[in-house]
Amino acid sequence: MTAYFIRRMLLVIPTFIGITLLVFVLTRLVPGGPIERMMTEMQLAQEGVSQMQQGPERGGVLNPAQLASLEAYYGFDQPIALAYVRWLGNVLTLDLGRSTRYNEPVWDIIAERLPISLYYGLTTLVLTYLVCIPLGIAKALKHGEGFDHSSSAIVFIGYAVPGYIVGIALLTAFASELEIFPLGGFTSERFEEFTLIEQVQDILWHSVLPLISYMLGSFAVMTFMMKNSLMDQLAQDYVRTALAKGLSFKDAVWKHAVRNSLIPLATHFGNNISVILSGSFLIETVFNINGFGLLGYESLLERDYPVVMGILVISSLLFLIGNILSDLCVAAVDPRVRFE
Amino acid sequence: MIRLDPITRDRLTRFQGIRRGWWSALILMALIAFTLVAELFVNSRALIVHYDGEWYFPTYGAVIPGTTFGEEYAYETNYKLLQKRFADEGSGNWVLMPPVPFDPYEINSYAGEFPPHAPNFDRGHYLGTDIAGRDVTARLVYGFRIAIWFSIALLASTYVIGIILGCLMGYRGGWFDLIVQRLIEVWSNVPFLYIIMIVASIVTPDFGMLVFLMVIFGWMGMTWYMRTATYKEVSRDYVMAAKALGASDWRIITTHILPNTVSVIVTFIPFSVAGGITALTALDYLGFGLPPPTPSWGELLKQGTDRLDAAWIVTSVVTGLVLVLVMVTFVGEAIREAFDPRRLTRYE
Repeated sequence: MTAYFIRRMLLVIPTFIGITLLVFVLTRLVPGGPIERMMTEMQLAQEGVSQMQQGPERGGVLNPAQLASLEAYYGFDQPIALAYVRWLGNVLTLDLGRSTRYNEPVWDIIAERLPISLYYGLTTLVLTYLVCIPLGIAKALKHGEGFDHSSSAIVFIGYAVPGYIVGIALLTAFASELEIFPLGGFTSERFEEFTLIEQVQDILWHSVLPLISYMLGSFAVMTFMMKNSLMDQLAQDYVRTALAKGLSFKDAVWKHAVRNSLIPLATHFGNNISVILSGSFLIETVFNINGFGLLGYESLLERDYPVVMGILVISSLLFLIGNILSDLCVAAVDPRVRFE
Repeated sequence: MIRLDPITRDRLTRFQGIRRGWWSALILMALIAFTLVAELFVNSRALIVHYDGEWYFPTYGAVIPGTTFGEEYAYETNYKLLQKRFADEGSGNWVLMPPVPFDPYEINSYAGEFPPHAPNFDRGHYLGTDIAGRDVTARLVYGFRIAIWFSIALLASTYVIGIILGCLMGYRGGWFDLIVQRLIEVWSNVPFLYIIMIVASIVTPDFGMLVFLMVIFGWMGMTWYMRTATYKEVSRDYVMAAKALGASDWRIITTHILPNTVSVIVTFIPFSVAGGITALTALDYLGFGLPPPTPSWGELLKQGTDRLDAAWIVTSVVTGLVLVLVMVTFVGEAIREAFDPRRLTRYE
């Protein structure tokens, strides 16, 4: 099995190169890359200035020498293959380049947003497990009764409708109409002036709606998974045997069935890890949360390719490692599982 | 009439027995059929024009210039104004407009008001207008038409690829299976929504292009399920028997294996439809889907969240999405249950 995981780890390398190469080439072929964007900005600025001054020397924004030095600065003067190898080399030394929009190192920009996504990701993960496992068990034990049906209705909507749409609905109802919760953002504008307790309250107040939207997606899947797997286990012969031996139903459920039914949930754990950090474009856009997802979205709109590539590097690595972790979790929980 | 074998008939009866799933399926079928003739219900062109003893049916077909009906302009007739004129003249000419007399692209302006206009039954804007003054009902109906047919096109393409490739992998096995397995492994690790967004920010995709992009990153799921299903069937005795009788590979695959994997394919259809709608809506919402002014639910969602004060926009589209997605999921659950009636032991 060790061989299997070593093979999986090795497979990360070509996959990673494949993904980044694909996107790198795409960003190179784009019309309207960062240099064009800077030139238009300069042009706009100069037009504003020259309209005021009516200066004699308008004409071209940059002379060819300036343009060439700018292209060299961003590495646009090299052929794609060479530029990619150089970029990859930089990534290996943990240098993701500089953002064309902010002119700051990409690392700093990403690091600035990471705590926000981490906060939402971790809270969601913990809350999801805290709610889903008991709810799933309760639903399985009361299968077909009133409680099962009524909770199914809510869980079902969460299952059918993506989180960000629920987020939009919540935002409309509770923030815009009823004005109970804020319209978005991570903190209030006057956050700096607050005392520590007020700051905590402020963050919590801002995170209620986004957390519900984040949770709902995985929440429904996990609850159903827990319920179905426990029901499967209850139908197994070993539970029947335990009951036949005279074990109480309570013991049969809690000491035997529940432990086994947790296995599928462990499979899911690895997938959740990548979600923790990469967050969600959609939910962060809806609630205007300045996290990882919103950064990726904005940098795409602004054609800030170093940041786009940086985010791709981090999110694809997390995704790849998350998948492997997921398999490791399964192997750890279920001794019957053997990977070839 | 197709002759159904007892198992299929059994499954169908079971499916019909799950009421919410069956009704959702009927309603969705009706909705899909409705989108084919949406022009008859939601359109700025009249259904029937009776003018000087002649009958006109402008809904389908070429543009009828205004001069035909005695108007002064040679561009397409404005039937809403024509209707008013005929009514004022009282000369026996009349115009029958569809229930929602608006085109999804038509910008409606009303003197002294700025869009978005609130819902107004007298004007026929049952759900109001969007921020450009286009009728929300019309945008919803035509947006749904695009979304559902996008899903169906996506589903058909991914399933064709998935079934062919999956069958081959399961049936042939060996190095072919191994190579495609590794390919799928690598390909499923691509963060595909992000890549599609990057591609869409570079080229503005049209309908076919977007389906193509989604197929490139979405064929793996079905392929994998089909591979497993075929793999299971190949090891069964009846396949062995067919081989011993000298049946060709083609015959074994098409007449023996495929019919036995139908349940795998059918159970996934509703979930693929829901996936297609959600993906298109998400891309449109982020502005990387079909270019404006294409009517789209995602674009309406974006408008709605930008203008939460015009609550009718966001309410209509969220209601529409929730209803459609919940119905599709009901169908999915019902099919799954009908195909897999696991009898679970219950302890009281």
